[in-house]
Amino acid sequence: MAASRDDRLIVIRALLARLTSALLASWIVLTAVFFLLRLLPGEPGTIFEDPRVPQEQRQRLRTIYGLDRPLPEQYVRWLGGVARGEWGYSLSQHRPVGQILRETAPNTLLLSGAALLLELGLGLALGVAAAARADSVADRGMRILSITLWSLPTFWLGLMLMAAFAVALPLFPPGAMRSVDADELGLGRRVLDLLWHLALPAAAIGVPAAAATARFVRSTVLERLGEPFVQSARARGLSAGRVLWTHALRAGLAPIAQLAGLSLAALLSGTIAVEVVFGWPGIGRATYDALVARDYPLLLAGTALSAAFVLAGSFLAELLQTWLDPRLRDA
Amino acid sequence: MAPGCASHGPLDAAAPPPRAQPARLAHLAIFLMFGMIGFGCLAMGCSGDRPRASAKPARPSIAVGATIADLSGVNELLASDIQFTTDILDQLFLQLLSEQADFAEHPPTFAPELATSYDWSDDHRALTFHLREDAVWSDGVPITAEDVRWTWQAQVSPEIAWSYADLKDAITDVEVIDPHTVRYHFREAYASQLLDAVEGKILPKHIWSRIPFAEWRQKADWFRDNLVTSGPFRLATWRPAEEVVLERNERYFDPALPKLHKVVFRVAPDAATHVEQLLAGALDFACGVTPGDGARIATRSDLRIVAFDNRQYDYISWNELRAPFDDPEIRRALTLSIDRQALVDTLFKGYARVASSPIPSNIWAHDPELEPLPYDPAAARRILAQKGFSDGDGDGTVERDGRPFAFELTTNSSNRIRTAALVMIQEQLRKVGIAATPRTIEIHALTEANTAHDFDATVSGWSIDTTLDLKPYFHSSASAGGYNFGSYRNAEVDRLLEAARRAPTPEAALPDLLRTQQILHAEQPYTFLWEPQRLCAVRADLMDVRPNSISAYFNLPEWRRRATTD
Repeated sequence: MAASRDDRLIVIRALLARLTSALLASWIVLTAVFFLLRLLPGEPGTIFEDPRVPQEQRQRLRTIYGLDRPLPEQYVRWLGGVARGEWGYSLSQHRPVGQILRETAPNTLLLSGAALLLELGLGLALGVAAAARADSVADRGMRILSITLWSLPTFWLGLMLMAAFAVALPLFPPGAMRSVDADELGLGRRVLDLLWHLALPAAAIGVPAAAATARFVRSTVLERLGEPFVQSARARGLSAGRVLWTHALRAGLAPIAQLAGLSLAALLSGTIAVEVVFGWPGIGRATYDALVARDYPLLLAGTALSAAFVLAGSFLAELLQTWLDPRLRDA
Repeated sequence: MAPGCASHGPLDAAAPPPRAQPARLAHLAIFLMFGMIGFGCLAMGCSGDRPRASAKPARPSIAVGATIADLSGVNELLASDIQFTTDILDQLFLQLLSEQADFAEHPPTFAPELATSYDWSDDHRALTFHLREDAVWSDGVPITAEDVRWTWQAQVSPEIAWSYADLKDAITDVEVIDPHTVRYHFREAYASQLLDAVEGKILPKHIWSRIPFAEWRQKADWFRDNLVTSGPFRLATWRPAEEVVLERNERYFDPALPKLHKVVFRVAPDAATHVEQLLAGALDFACGVTPGDGARIATRSDLRIVAFDNRQYDYISWNELRAPFDDPEIRRALTLSIDRQALVDTLFKGYARVASSPIPSNIWAHDPELEPLPYDPAAARRILAQKGFSDGDGDGTVERDGRPFAFELTTNSSNRIRTAALVMIQEQLRKVGIAATPRTIEIHALTEANTAHDFDATVSGWSIDTTLDLKPYFHSSASAGGYNFGSYRNAEVDRLLEAARRAPTPEAALPDLLRTQQILHAEQPYTFLWEPQRLCAVRADLMDVRPNSISAYFNLPEWRRRATTD
C-alpha cells in the first residue's frame, strides 16, 4: 500500500511539474505577444480607423480604454485581470472578451474534434491498408494521393470542396453553421443540421491531415510487422488480420497516439482559414479579426486559448503515449 | 531503437502483408469518405422539412444575404463605424430626417422620418422639427421630443466620446417645445447645419437612460440586451460572427412596410465564398461583388447584377516633400504617363469611371468642365525632357543630375485591385523612362507610413460625404496629423477651403469648390485614378432592390419577393 501511495505521489508531482511548466510557457507566450503587439503599426480597434474622427476625440477614447497609460502599467493591469479571470473588453466587438471566447471556443473544438476523428479514422484505415499492401500499385497510388492532399493549402481545398460538393454537386451547404430555419427544427434535426454543415469544413481540415497520418501509420505498422513478436505470432498460426490488429497496430499505437495529441494543436491552427472560408464562427476567426482590428484584449485572449490548446494537446499526447507504452509506463 | 526510426524496407520482404483485413480497412476508409456524401444526400432528402442550405424561401417573404463584416453593436454612439453596422442601424432606428441620394444635380434633399417637417428662424440659427405623433418604440412607448434632446446630450457627452461628436459642435442647445416639437439652436449659420442636426439615430431615453453615460463604454453589450427600436425592422437574432436576422417591426408607423417579413444576413468574411453561395442558391443577395465575379454572375438567368455609383475615388498621392514630386509639371507628366482608361477597362470590367477631381462626377458640385488628363506618353516625355530628365546611360530609365527617376509606389496588400494596378502602372511608367517599384504593405502600416509622409507615392482612396469638406485632405494644415499625406500646399486652396466651410448654404460654397477643383486639376497633387461602382448580386425574383451610395440596403423595407404580390 505504501509503495502504491508513493507511486501516486510521484505521479501527482510529475503532473504538477507539467502544469507549472505549461503555465510558465503560457505566461511567456502571452507576455511576448502583449509587447510585440504594441510594435505593430496602427491604433487598436476599428474605432480609430475613420479619418473623420478628430484627434481630440481619439485622445478621449484612448483615455477611456486606458490606452494612454504607460505600457508597463497596461501590462500589469491586464495581467491582474487575467489572474482574476477577466480578459477585458473587446475594442472591436464592444463586449466582454470572456463572452466571445465562451461563444466561439466550443465551435472551434467541435470543428477540430470532427476533423481529428476524420483524420484518425481515415488515416488509420488507409495507413494500415497501405502497410498491408506495401509497395503495391495501391500503396504507391495512396502515397501520391497523400502527398498531393498534404500539400494543398487548406483555404484552397475548402473553396474547392465548396465548389464541388455545394455548387456543382449540391450535397452540402456552402458555409455557415446552421440552416436559416434551424431554430424551427426539433433537437434531433438541429443536430443533424449541424453535422451536415460540419461535413465540408471538417473534411477540409481532416482529409489532408489524414493523408499525413496514413503515411505515419503505414511506416509504424510496417516497422512492427518485422519485429520478432509479430513473426512469432504468425508462427503460432494467428490470422493475418489478428496479427495486424492485435499485434502490429497495437504495438504501434503509442507513437500514433502521440501524433494524435500533437495533431489536435495543428488542427486548431488549421481552423483559421477554414473558419474564414466557411463562415464558421470559431475562435480562430475571432482571433484573426482581432489581429486585423488591432483588438488587443481579444487577440491576447485568443492567443492564450490557442496556447492552452497546444499545451493541452501535447500534454495529452504524452499521457496517452505513457499509458499505451508499457516501457514508459513502468519507467 | 526509437519508434519510427527503424528502416522497414528489408522487413517488408520478410513479412508478406496480410490481405484479408486490410481489404476491409480500405473499404472502411472508402465507406467513411462516401458516407459523408451519403450523409449529405440523407440530410437533403429526408423529408420536406429538411434543413435548408438554400435560400429558396420556405416562406416567400424571407431574403437571405451575406456580409463580410459583422454587426459591431446596436448603440450607434459606441459601435465601430463599419458600413454594415450603419446599414443595419438605419433599419432599426429612426433619424429626424433621412438624407436622400439625389445629390447628382443639387445638394441632397431630406425625406421625413421621425420629423414630418422643419422650419428655420429668420437668422437661420434656430431649426425647429415637428415630430410625427404616431411613432412609437418597439415596446409601444411613444417617441417624443425628450428622446431627441436626450440623444443630443448623449452625442456630445465627453464620457461617451462619440466619434462624430464634432458634428454637433455648433449646436448650443436642443429645446423641447412640446412632446412633438423640438428646436435646435446653433452658434452660427453655416452650410451643413441641417445635415449636422439630423446626423445620428434617435435613441430610447426611457430604457437607455437607466445607466449613466460614464458607464456606457464599459457596458456596450448591455444595450443589446435592452434593445428597443423604432425603424421598420427589429433585431430578431444576432449570433455574433454568424448571422444577423431582422424581422418586421409591427409597431412601425407605416403599416405597409417592410414588405419582407424577415431578412437574414449571414456573416461570411471571405467575399469569394459569397459568389459560391449565390451560385449554390444559399443566398438571395450579396453586395461587394468584384467586377470579375460580376461578369460571371451576369451570365446567370436566376441572378442579376445591380451596379451603383459610390461617393468614392482612388488616387496616387505624390509626396511633395521628396523631389521631383514637388514640381507640379512633373506630377502632370506622371499623370499623362498613366493610361487610366486601360486600368478601368482591365480591372473593373466597365464598372468604374476615370476620375478627375476629389468631388466624384456623380455629385452636384463636381466641375463638369474638368476633363481627365489624357494618356499621352509623348507629352509626358517632352515635359520630362524640359525638366532636365534624359536617359544618358541608355538603361531605359531617365536621369537628372546623375540620379535615375526611380521611386516606390505603395498600396495596401488587402486590396486586390490596387495591387494589380501597381503592376500595370509600373509598366506604363517604364515606357516613359520612369522606374516605379510596386510595394504592398498591410493597411495599418500603410496608414502609418502615409501620415508620417514616409513614402514616395501611394495608392489609396477616399469616400466623401455630402458636406464636401476637402479641408482634411488638401489644406496645408492637414499635412501635420491630418490626411494631406503628400504635404500639398497652396495658399489659394487653403483660403477657398476655409471659405467653403463658412458658406451659409451648400450652394453658396459652389464657386469655392469649383475653383479648388480647377487648381487641383492643374497642380495634380493626386493623380486621380478611378471612381468605382459597387456591385450587388441579387436573385431574379427579389424585386425593387435599389442600392445607392448611401447604403446598399437603402430601400430594404421596399424589397419584396415577386411571388408575394406579383
